[in-house]
Amino acid sequence: MRLILQTGPSGAHSCRLPVRHAATAAAVVAVLGAAPIGAEPVRVDPETGAATHATQAHGVSVSLTQLLPDQVRAFYVARGFDLADADVFADACVYMTVLRNDTAPGEIDFRLSDWEVRHNEEVRPLPPLDDWLAQWTARGVPDSARLAFRWAQFPSEQTYAPGEWNQGMLATGLPPGSRFDLIARWRIADQTYEGTLDDVRCTD
Amino acid sequence: MCVAPIDRIRAGLSVLPALLLCIGTLGAVGTVGAADLPPLSHRLTLIEDPAAAPPLRLEDIEGVEHDLADLKGRLVLVNFWATWCPPCRREMPSMERLYQQFKERGLTVLAVDVGEDMDTVFAFTGQLDPAPTFPLLLDTDSQAAQDWGVKGLPTSFVVDPEGRVIIRAVGGTEFDAAAAVDQLVPFLPKP
Repeated sequence: MRLILQTGPSGAHSCRLPVRHAATAAAVVAVLGAAPIGAEPVRVDPETGAATHATQAHGVSVSLTQLLPDQVRAFYVARGFDLADADVFADACVYMTVLRNDTAPGEIDFRLSDWEVRHNEEVRPLPPLDDWLAQWTARGVPDSARLAFRWAQFPSEQTYAPGEWNQGMLATGLPPGSRFDLIARWRIADQTYEGTLDDVRCTD
Repeated sequence: MCVAPIDRIRAGLSVLPALLLCIGTLGAVGTVGAADLPPLSHRLTLIEDPAAAPPLRLEDIEGVEHDLADLKGRLVLVNFWATWCPPCRREMPSMERLYQQFKERGLTVLAVDVGEDMDTVFAFTGQLDPAPTFPLLLDTDSQAAQDWGVKGLPTSFVVDPEGRVIIRAVGGTEFDAAAAVDQLVPFLPKP
């Protein structure tokens, strides 16, 4: 994982530091003890091969554990999805995602709309929750099943005081077999922090 | 281990045993042990400017209506959860232990299940040790969760005897941990 300290206004879009400030930023990062960390999985299920990628920096930890397509299908079929509808989500490279404010110096805020996936040299946003819900409505997924889907997802936005966290599903929207980097962003006061989980493989 | 039941689904066979295995392990995925699970938090978040709690009036799994407005004078832990939510399941026994420890001193616990029906919740309670003795309310359309500003499960709030939300806990929490108890005790009703 790489952690990059960014600056910018409090608006929706923060900017990376200009190059001339890179050395300063690197120094700040070093002082805060957030040196880059390796990207190897911290855990691999010996039977399924599902890997967990995790890191901790600036007092915030992030982890991704792949939910295999059959696991995702089973979860949603049990909650009222037709198999064909569950297949759509199961094939979108779904991860059990945990973000936790362990010891950050204050509350952290994030919006998934600020997170990105880098795949095949392209950077793209994560599929928004509202798009999934609209798709389920169009496909006639029952209300109760859509409700289960909504609450099982990793929150679209959230604020965590130290000690607070969530665990939920996050779909990258990539096809099975993809390798990608996840770029997670959060804010503390008026500063944006960026953590990247590199070379995550979506097992098919 | 979460057994993939898709072939059984396609064949029209019973998938319940496999689904139960999967549902039970989805949060951890696969064969990871308890030591690999995200740790439950041991602390609560004090709210700097407490505001009046939103209304909360729901039926429990036995059809009995509970109204938060009737609980003025007690310290109330309102917990939003769901049976499929791994950290929700993990924190619930600690809520029961906390409830047993302080109910005589004025603590009430209301656990609000979000988006599920009575049968689902009732079947789940038998799996817990200790089983909850506090009310399990049903927020079947998740309207209460939305009214309370819940964005992810589990999320809990503590309402003081005056009806103000004074504490928040986002994410799985060990409610009877010493640090959490130390934060709650000062707000119990005075004898």
